[in-house]
Amino acid sequence: MDTLMALLTVITQPQLLLLVGVGTFAGVYVGAIPGLSVTMAVSILISFTFSWDVYPAISLMVGIYMGGVYGGSRTAILLNIPGAPCAIATAMDGYPMAQRGEAGQAIGVTTTMSFFGGLVGILVLAIAAPLVSDFALRFQPRDYMLLAVLGILLVGSLSPGSLLKGIFAGALGIAVGAVGRDPLTFTERFTFDFSLLDGGISFIAVMIGMFGVSEALLQLRHVATPTVRQKITRVVPSWKTVRKHLPLSLQSSTIGVVIGALPGTGGDIASLMAYDYAKRTTKKPEREFGDGAMEGLVAPETANNAAVGGAFIPMMTLGIPGDAVTAIMIGALFIHGLNPGPMLMVDQPEMFWFIVGALVTANCFMLLFGLTGIKLFTKIVEMPRSVLIPLIMLLSIVGAYAVNNSITDVYWMLGFGVFGYFLRHYGYPLGPVILGVILSRLLDDNWRRAIISEREDLWRFFDGVVSSPLSLTLMLGVILVFVSQTRLWSFAKSLLPRRKSPQEGD
Amino acid sequence: MKDNEPDSCTDSAVPANGINSARKPGELVFTAFLCIASVYLLWEAYGIAGFEALSSPGAVPMATTAAMAISSVILLVRAIRLPRARAGVIAESVVPGVFVVFVLLLLAFSVLLKPLGFVPTAALFLVVAIKILGRRSWGFTIVVSLASLLVIWLVFRVGFTVLMPPGIVPEAEFIQFLRNVFGGGRS
Repeated sequence: MDTLMALLTVITQPQLLLLVGVGTFAGVYVGAIPGLSVTMAVSILISFTFSWDVYPAISLMVGIYMGGVYGGSRTAILLNIPGAPCAIATAMDGYPMAQRGEAGQAIGVTTTMSFFGGLVGILVLAIAAPLVSDFALRFQPRDYMLLAVLGILLVGSLSPGSLLKGIFAGALGIAVGAVGRDPLTFTERFTFDFSLLDGGISFIAVMIGMFGVSEALLQLRHVATPTVRQKITRVVPSWKTVRKHLPLSLQSSTIGVVIGALPGTGGDIASLMAYDYAKRTTKKPEREFGDGAMEGLVAPETANNAAVGGAFIPMMTLGIPGDAVTAIMIGALFIHGLNPGPMLMVDQPEMFWFIVGALVTANCFMLLFGLTGIKLFTKIVEMPRSVLIPLIMLLSIVGAYAVNNSITDVYWMLGFGVFGYFLRHYGYPLGPVILGVILSRLLDDNWRRAIISEREDLWRFFDGVVSSPLSLTLMLGVILVFVSQTRLWSFAKSLLPRRKSPQEGD
Repeated sequence: MKDNEPDSCTDSAVPANGINSARKPGELVFTAFLCIASVYLLWEAYGIAGFEALSSPGAVPMATTAAMAISSVILLVRAIRLPRARAGVIAESVVPGVFVVFVLLLLAFSVLLKPLGFVPTAALFLVVAIKILGRRSWGFTIVVSLASLLVIWLVFRVGFTVLMPPGIVPEAEFIQFLRNVFGGGRS
């Protein structure tokens, strides 16, 4: 009964319902406008909502997240510019459909399928998270440490470019997170004898700098990109179309949830994998993939929204974020005095069920806003970048200042913004940096706990890892990520007999 | 398309290609900078507790900065081996003029924020920034800037009750005045 009440909190309190609605609405537009990202929006918003109670703050962020993941598909279909990376696969078949004048249909199918995928993701979250958290209570400190390392490495390895750049970015994040006085021994770390650095660097300043300012600075190059207009007709898809694609959407939802639940990997990878899956398994598409195949829209869109629910699983049960946005949400929960992890599920299960309820509500709002308000939408998306970029910068400064009312945070934010600009420019992924900053404390604490319990003996530590099936699996995961990026892996793969079927294009 | 996969679902889509067949202008300098900074940080981390114990406060910092140093050294070696793309001018492709102008603008914003107050600084920033980027008439620029500032101010100052430095503007009095008008002086 308590569970049901917690689940329905959002619906029974008009204020929360309104916030989820506003959040989803804003999310759809933030996701759709190229140059604005959900990560950016959520990280800027944390600083504004932190004086609020935890429920309203979470309501707003959940809405933005859900809406934002969907919103990217709009501009992918209409303008061939994915508003967010998780919509890259959507553009491949969505834009050709729009060119043929079927933009309305494409948007309709995308919306319904995103809704469906989102629902599957949330359902899996509701069922799996309590089980995982029971299991997580048995996690040893070394398991947490290994999981954190695995998460950071996974983000680093799956982003484009070399694993080395990912490792560098992740390690940089951990180092930034370590700045200040060590909480256990009160020793100064990386403070360079500045008392200003004793308290560490505000992670919100790092986040806003990396995702807000650096993005805006990079966008300065594309100010002159012209906007394209499309005519949109019928949006609500027919039941027949929906039913036809239901099996595929169920399969790609599964891909989405699993990829989303892996620490560090989110909707972008899920959607590309689902697109690839659909391309391989669809026997007779009505149109070729890349030429406007409906399947090419259905698969990535269900997958990326299903990944949202998936990403919450490690966040709520282990305190390890599933992607950049959940990393920021963990930060928000910390600020509100909550400590995400297995104990949160035991001590405050109502918090978990509240989030599930908020996600369901946000998903419904997404369907509503997705199928209506197209006219308004095209107007807002055509907002010129010459206005948008200064506004992002302004909000970043306000956001960085608002957390501690300190100008120092603004300078940090600017510093990391400029540094992030160069990192991006030279192909370093920023996801691992944020994950590193957030996980730094968890990694450090658990490493020290683990090694102290093994009496400072590295061999005993490794013995412990090898003798526990869970630790061993995680360790093998870490090793696998390393090996998969080396020449050894491609050599081993070339030794395997070729069993590729002919339709396996890439 | 595969070359252009950005790093996270929730970042906006910016092509970021990590594998280069040729070196980007300025890449060598940047990688060298990362390298030197990492080694310096490693030295700093060593200074925290040395090799005192595996559980010392310096252990994780040393491990991470060592990872940074090793990866950046390898990246530097790779960058040196790559052929130069073309005789690209750094100023053009890496730090275009508009980038420098905006970094300076942002810096000026932060410096003036406290003494001048949020509203005047933000108004100045928006007018200058939108004028530079949009190259539209002064009328358009000022109307758009002030209108969007008004919306931001209402949403964040009044809605979210975010405290920004008032500076020379008697903001608190003004908000009190608004409350008196709309709320019948309740607060």
